[in-house]
Amino acid sequence: MRGASQAKWVVAAVAVALAATACGSNGASSGGGSSTGAVNAQGTFSYQSSEPQNPLQPANAMEVGGGRIIKQLFKGLVDYDPADGKLRNQVAEKIETTDATNYTVTLKSGWTFHDGTPVTASSFVDAWNWSANTKNNQINSDWFSDIAGYTDVHPDAGDPKAETMSGLKVVDDTHFTIQLTGPVSYFQYKLGYTAFSPLPKAFFTDPAKYGQNPIGNGPYKFVSWEHNKAITVAAYDKYAGLDKPKNGGIVFKNYTQPEAAYKDLVSDNVDVLDQVDPSDLASYKTDLGSRAVDQAQGAIQNISFAMYQDAWKPVDKAKVRQGLSMAIDRDTITKTVLNGSRQPANSWVAPGAMGYKDNTCGDACKYDPAKAKQLITEGGGVPDNKITIVYNSDGGHKEWVDAVCNSIRQATGVECVGDPKPDFKTSRDIIKKKQVQSMMRTGWVQDYPLNANFLRDVYGTGAAANDGSYSNPEFDKLAAEADKATTVEKTAELYQQAEAQLAKDMPAIPLWYYKTTSGYSNNVQNVKFDSFGDPVFTQVEVKQK
Amino acid sequence: MPDLTDTKTEIPAQRAAEVPEAKPEKARSLGLDAWHDLRRRPIFVISALLIVLLIVIAIAPGLFTSVDPRAGDLRTHFLTKPNYGHLFQPDWFGYDGQGRSIYARVIYGARASVVVGICVTAGVTVLGGITGMIAGYFGGWVDTIVSRVTDIFFGIPLLLGALVVLNAFTSRTIWSVVFALVALGWTQMTRVMRGSVITVKQADYVTAAKALGAGTTRIMVKHILPNAIAPVIVVATIALGGYIATEATLSFLGIGLQDPTISWGIDINSAQKVIRTAPFALFFPAGMLSITVLAFIMLGDAVRDALDPKLR
Repeated sequence: MRGASQAKWVVAAVAVALAATACGSNGASSGGGSSTGAVNAQGTFSYQSSEPQNPLQPANAMEVGGGRIIKQLFKGLVDYDPADGKLRNQVAEKIETTDATNYTVTLKSGWTFHDGTPVTASSFVDAWNWSANTKNNQINSDWFSDIAGYTDVHPDAGDPKAETMSGLKVVDDTHFTIQLTGPVSYFQYKLGYTAFSPLPKAFFTDPAKYGQNPIGNGPYKFVSWEHNKAITVAAYDKYAGLDKPKNGGIVFKNYTQPEAAYKDLVSDNVDVLDQVDPSDLASYKTDLGSRAVDQAQGAIQNISFAMYQDAWKPVDKAKVRQGLSMAIDRDTITKTVLNGSRQPANSWVAPGAMGYKDNTCGDACKYDPAKAKQLITEGGGVPDNKITIVYNSDGGHKEWVDAVCNSIRQATGVECVGDPKPDFKTSRDIIKKKQVQSMMRTGWVQDYPLNANFLRDVYGTGAAANDGSYSNPEFDKLAAEADKATTVEKTAELYQQAEAQLAKDMPAIPLWYYKTTSGYSNNVQNVKFDSFGDPVFTQVEVKQK
Repeated sequence: MPDLTDTKTEIPAQRAAEVPEAKPEKARSLGLDAWHDLRRRPIFVISALLIVLLIVIAIAPGLFTSVDPRAGDLRTHFLTKPNYGHLFQPDWFGYDGQGRSIYARVIYGARASVVVGICVTAGVTVLGGITGMIAGYFGGWVDTIVSRVTDIFFGIPLLLGALVVLNAFTSRTIWSVVFALVALGWTQMTRVMRGSVITVKQADYVTAAKALGAGTTRIMVKHILPNAIAPVIVVATIALGGYIATEATLSFLGIGLQDPTISWGIDINSAQKVIRTAPFALFFPAGMLSITVLAFIMLGDAVRDALDPKLR
């Protein structure tokens, strides 16, 4: 026994030494110019991913597992430059408007779907009409709610009155017009979201089957989907976009244990990591050397209240919620349990997004056990004096959920336990079905870098990602006003006022902002991450073996 | 000198007591006989002392530590190293990744393990004992039915079955784990009891009791049970350690006990994530678990030797 375990330690030491030397040589070569390494343009690489919750339809992916694959398979009118987050035209030649309500879209020619059919104006219009239709039950259908005629195809209840939205009109193959219900100054920003992707004719014959074998127009085409194992995509050689892939394809490998993904990365069995798991954060920079990535990200971690439970409805419970927020020692938890991989949050919008304002949460996000206790007592106490936090145990959340609970319990005496669900899908299903008793983990990764996305799409009444069913007429009114503004700047400013309403109601407790803490293997180079926390897949270069 | 002669003469006397001539002396029951045998075995004495200690810890953990095992202070105690000089102090075994005293958690974790171990053993012994008795005594179609049902349950692997059963509980406590393990573990006892009852049933004294007109219940309880129970007790004692290990395994896998219950399995699970930076967080709960399981298995071994030397 003793002999065996010693042998193991020796092996580990050798591995560390090898890794260290590998880092050294890598650093030297990149210093001389990153393009010097021989690159295999046909080479494929793997990425740590998770099983998509839904079939791969562009308007049906809100979670990262499906969303990031959709992003590679489809390309909409515009997208965001990974370097600076600015909007740039892709399929669109130009999008023109004078009043922020009526838009004329001109398409570039030469774009094709992976099955060879051309991308035309009706590819967009038909796709949007289908995705918005309530019958098709697409999770992101409310993204189309700005467009005139949305309520006809997606009434609050009952069957749709029309098959198409009156606001969309095809002029010819390369032109179409969009009419909105009112001015939405940042509508072009929204168009970069995957829900606005075009769909080929093949989609409409059998959307369900298509969801297992999607045909897009993006830089990568779909190859195969082994459920709960991997999704493979390959570079599309006729891709007409600005970001042509510099590699041959990607394998999205499914991991339920982030620790396992990290171990695979260290041994070069997976090439690019999504996130380093909390338990390896302390050592990942030493393990990976120059292959470690640590940068800011447009994402926030919250814990939200199940506002649909009667116990949380009374008005004075806002004080209780604020009190609970003040009972969380964000600084210490981010420094210790999260190893500095997060930045304590004091606002509901992540920094970097347009319209971000520091400290909108104010004192309610500062750790103050005495005040926390007082507020909870004033608000009539926590229902049953107990909270549970529903979370998925496959994402490395256990440590911080436990730490948050300990912090709350010790500061206020409120019993608090984590309620782990085995995987992301299970936890999302429970949250979607509104079966959460008191609290749930909710994170938000920006869809587009504007504060409106962090606010209206998460806290607006009936919004798809409003997991806690928060509803405040005042907030909705301010959000509606903000949408009507004629400039993006004005919109952002008005949304800051709406955010102030969140500070009063505290429907969700902001915990911290994400940082991209990741890394890549020795097989790849030029791995960069955008503000969404996704690697810029098309830029990744696979080294010649 | 007289002392020496005394001891020398005592040994033959004692031996004489055990050989057939013992008849005129007061007859010893099976239990008394076993006890006589057991208390002279060091392995029994050590394991029994350990178990008594564990039970005391489980009943009154407050005697051993004054710290709340759930209270953590991340500011000052995040993965603080153990201070081995501070015997029985909160920092004796160091602090875990939530800033909680590992010593306090090890002490409070004993309760879950001991309760699960004892309750599951009691449950399977009662359930398995009754079904085994019925099957063995009545025989025929009753035996066929009971045996087939037993076979079905026996076919389900304990750990796998427990995973499935426990997944059905939305919130799991000690009792749901006990329920799952009893529901899947009783078959082993049924088999042992049935075999034992079938052997005993043919004994002369049973026939005699029948001839004297004793009722079924009386025969089962007064004549068969005391003589058939020994192998069951032996198997149960050995299995007890196994049940404790199974509970820890389930908790480790995240499907057994849940927060706020304190369990060594849960602590081992959270400690494995910091094993590179804080190996002590893994060492102490894992060590306590090993010692506990070992104590029960040693006890089971000793009891087996005493009760039923044939099984040796």
